[in-house]
Amino acid sequence: MDIDTGLLPAFARGCAVLGSGGGGSVAIARAAALQALEDRGPVRVVPAADLDPGLLVMPVGTAGASAVMSERVGGVDEPAYLREKVEELFGVPVGAILASEIGGANGCLAVAWAARVGLPLVDADGMSRAFPRMDQTVMQLRGIAPTPAVLCDERGRTVVIDRVTGAWLERLVRASLDAFGGQVATSEYIMRGDQVAAATALGSVTRAVRLGTRLPDPLVTGKVADTSGSILVEGLGPDAGRLVRIEAASEFPAVVEDGAPLAAVPDVIAVLDSRTGEVLQAEQIRYGLRVAVVRVPCDPVWHTPEGLRLAGPAAFGLAGLVSPSDQEPS
Amino acid sequence: MRAGVDVGATNTDAALVAADGKVLATVKVATVPDDPVASVRVALERLPPATATPGGPAQIAVGLRGAATAVTRRAGLRKVAVLRIGGASATAVRPLSGWPRDLRDAVSTGTAIVDGGGGLDPEDRTPLDREAVARFAAQVAGQAQAVAIAGLFSPLDGEQEREAAAIVRAELGAAVPISLSAGLGTLGLLERENATVLDAALSGFATSVSSGLSEVLAALCPGAAAFVTRGDGTLMSLEHLARHPSLSLGSGPASMLRGAGALTGLADAVVADVGAVRVRVGVLAGGWPEEAVGGADIGGVPVGLRIPGLIRVPRPVDPAELAEAVDRLQPAAGRLPLVVVGGGAHAVPEGTHPEHGPAAGAIGAAVSPVGGQYERIVRLPDRSALPGLLEPVLEEARAAAVHAGADPRHVRLIDVDQTPIAYLPGPFVRLRARAAGPPSSW
Repeated sequence: MDIDTGLLPAFARGCAVLGSGGGGSVAIARAAALQALEDRGPVRVVPAADLDPGLLVMPVGTAGASAVMSERVGGVDEPAYLREKVEELFGVPVGAILASEIGGANGCLAVAWAARVGLPLVDADGMSRAFPRMDQTVMQLRGIAPTPAVLCDERGRTVVIDRVTGAWLERLVRASLDAFGGQVATSEYIMRGDQVAAATALGSVTRAVRLGTRLPDPLVTGKVADTSGSILVEGLGPDAGRLVRIEAASEFPAVVEDGAPLAAVPDVIAVLDSRTGEVLQAEQIRYGLRVAVVRVPCDPVWHTPEGLRLAGPAAFGLAGLVSPSDQEPS
Repeated sequence: MRAGVDVGATNTDAALVAADGKVLATVKVATVPDDPVASVRVALERLPPATATPGGPAQIAVGLRGAATAVTRRAGLRKVAVLRIGGASATAVRPLSGWPRDLRDAVSTGTAIVDGGGGLDPEDRTPLDREAVARFAAQVAGQAQAVAIAGLFSPLDGEQEREAAAIVRAELGAAVPISLSAGLGTLGLLERENATVLDAALSGFATSVSSGLSEVLAALCPGAAAFVTRGDGTLMSLEHLARHPSLSLGSGPASMLRGAGALTGLADAVVADVGAVRVRVGVLAGGWPEEAVGGADIGGVPVGLRIPGLIRVPRPVDPAELAEAVDRLQPAAGRLPLVVVGGGAHAVPEGTHPEHGPAAGAIGAAVSPVGGQYERIVRLPDRSALPGLLEPVLEEARAAAVHAGADPRHVRLIDVDQTPIAYLPGPFVRLRARAAGPPSSW
C-alpha cells in the first residue's frame, strides 16, 4: 500500500480516532503531510516482516504543547537531522520510518517525514493509539532500549540522550522541551529491522486507514448534557433514557454506565460530533454537542499484566477500574 | 438621540433611539443590491424628518455585511502579497494552504516565508532576514495591491511584523496597505495568517465603503458622528474601518445580538435572528456576543477572528432542528431564555418576541459603544506578577478603543479575561481586555 494525497484524509481521520481524545490535533500535521506528499510523492507502507533485517528503523514523533504546534507548524528538515544523527550514533543506515505514536498528530507527521526523507513507512507503530508518555510503548514492554535517543528542532539543534530508562527518557525530554521552546522532534527506541515485528503494534497504518473509512458501531449516541466534572452523555434516539459518563483528562480514559465501564484504557475511546462526523478532542467537548461514543480495541499487548501496569487505568489515576476487555470471563 | 442602520442581504433596517434607550422609530426598506451605501441612504431618508436636522441624531452607526459577502463571492478583493516570518520553523505548511482555489486565485499575488520569528521566550527569537523582506517587496511591487504579514508568535511580540512592514512600506510606498497579524487573533499561525490575508484583501472594499458612507452621512445627518459595527458588538469610526477592514466581519450578527439584549434588558440569552432564507442562532453572554469556539470560517477559510459563534438553520424552519440549535448553544440545559428577532420572527412561535425585534440589528448598532480590544500571551511565573503584566494590556485595550473613535475621558473596561494556555511550560496565560466608551466629541 502507498499513502498518497487521496488516501491521506482517511488515514488522518483514523489517526484522530486513535488519539482517544488526546495526541494533539491532526489538522496541522495532516496539512504538513499533504504538502510533503505533494512535494515528494507517495509514501510506501511496508509490513514489518518485509523490513531489511540489518537496517535501522527510526521511530519518529514530536513532543510538546499543542498550543506551540498551532503556531510553530514545523519545518521540512527535522527527519533528515534525526536520521543523520541516528546513523552517526549507530553506524548503520536507516531503512524505514516508524510512527512512535499512530494516534493524533504524530501519526500524520510520520507520513510527512517518511515522504521528506524518501523512506518507506512501517505498517506498525509504538502504541497502537496515543498515550501521554513517551515510554508507554510496545518497545518498552518488549525490552528495546529507549536510548540513545535523538531530539532536534527545525533548525537542526540537537540533543542526544543516552543510558537512561524509559521513565528517565520521559523526564529528560520534558526538561529539554522548555529549552526547545515547547516543541521538539524525537526518535527513541531505535531498532534493527528484524526486531520490529516482535516489538511494535503491527498493522497500525492500514488500521488507521480502515478506521478512517469505517468505524465500529457506537457505544452510545446522544447529547453532551454536562461538562462540569466528567462528561455526561444523555442518550438520544435509540439510546434515549441512557446516561453515560466519559472520564476526561487530556484524553478519554474511560466510559462508564450505571457504575460499570463500557470501555477503558488501554482501549481507545473516540467521541465524534454526530452532526459533522468530526472526531473531537477532549478539550473540544461542550454542552449540547450531539455525539457518538466509539470504542476501538488497542493492541492486545496492552492487556497483559505488564501492559496494564504501564498504560492501564491505574496509570491514568483510575485504579480499581477494569476495562471490559480485561475482565475475567465469569 | 442615536441612529442605527443594518444593511442585510434582503432588507435594510434603520432605527432611531433616544438617549434613554427608548426606540423612537424604525423603518425597513429593500436593500439596494450590491450597494450598501445607497441602502443606508434610502433607509435614513425614510426615518422621521428630525433625523436630518441639526437637532437630529448625534451619532449614526451602520452595520454592513458586505465584507463577508465580498469574500464568499470572491468579488472586489484586492491582490495580496503574503509574507510569513518564521523561516525553518514554519515551512511544513505553506501560506494559503487549504484555501479554495478560486479564492486563492482571486487574492494571492505571491507568498514568501522569510527567516525570523519569535517563540515563547525573548531568547527564542530568530533575527529577521531584512534583505529577504526587501527582495520579496521588490518582487511583488506593481502587482500587490495590499500586503499581509504574519510573524511566528507575534501575539507575544509583534516587533518583527512592524519591522518588516517598515521595509515593505519603503519599497512599495505608503499607498499600499499593510495588514499585520498581531492584532488579528491569538496563537494559531495558519488561522491568524488567513485572517490577515482577508484583512488585506478587503482593504479596497473598506476604503470605498468608508468614503461612500462618510459622504452620504455628512449630507444626510450633518454633525452626526459616523460609525460602523464590529464583529465583537462594539463600534468603530469609518477611518478605523479603512485601516482594519476585517474587524467588520461578523458585525451583522453581533449587532443583532446586542439589539436583542437592548430590547429585552437581558444580558444573557440565546438569540434567534429569523431572516428571509435562514435563522441564525447565537448567544449573548454578559451583554456581548459569544465568540465562535475554536475559531470561525469565512468563505471556506478558517480564521482566528473573534466573531460571533452561530448555528444556521434553513427556512422553512423545522422546529426540531431549531430546538436542537438553541439547545446546542446553551451553556447548560435550559439555562438561558430564547429571544426571537429579525424580519421573519413571526415564523418562530417559541421564545420572547420583543417589540421592534424585526429591527434588532439596527437597534444594536444604535445603542452600542465604540470599542477596542487587546490581547497578549505572557509567561506568568507566579500570581504576584499578574498586575504588572495586566496593566499594559488594559492600557492597550483603552488605547484601541480610543483609536476606534471612543472618547478617552470616558473609556472603561468591559471585559478582562485570563485564560491559561494548556500544556505550556511556564505557565502561560492569555490576557485579554476589551474597552469601550462613547464617541469622542466632534
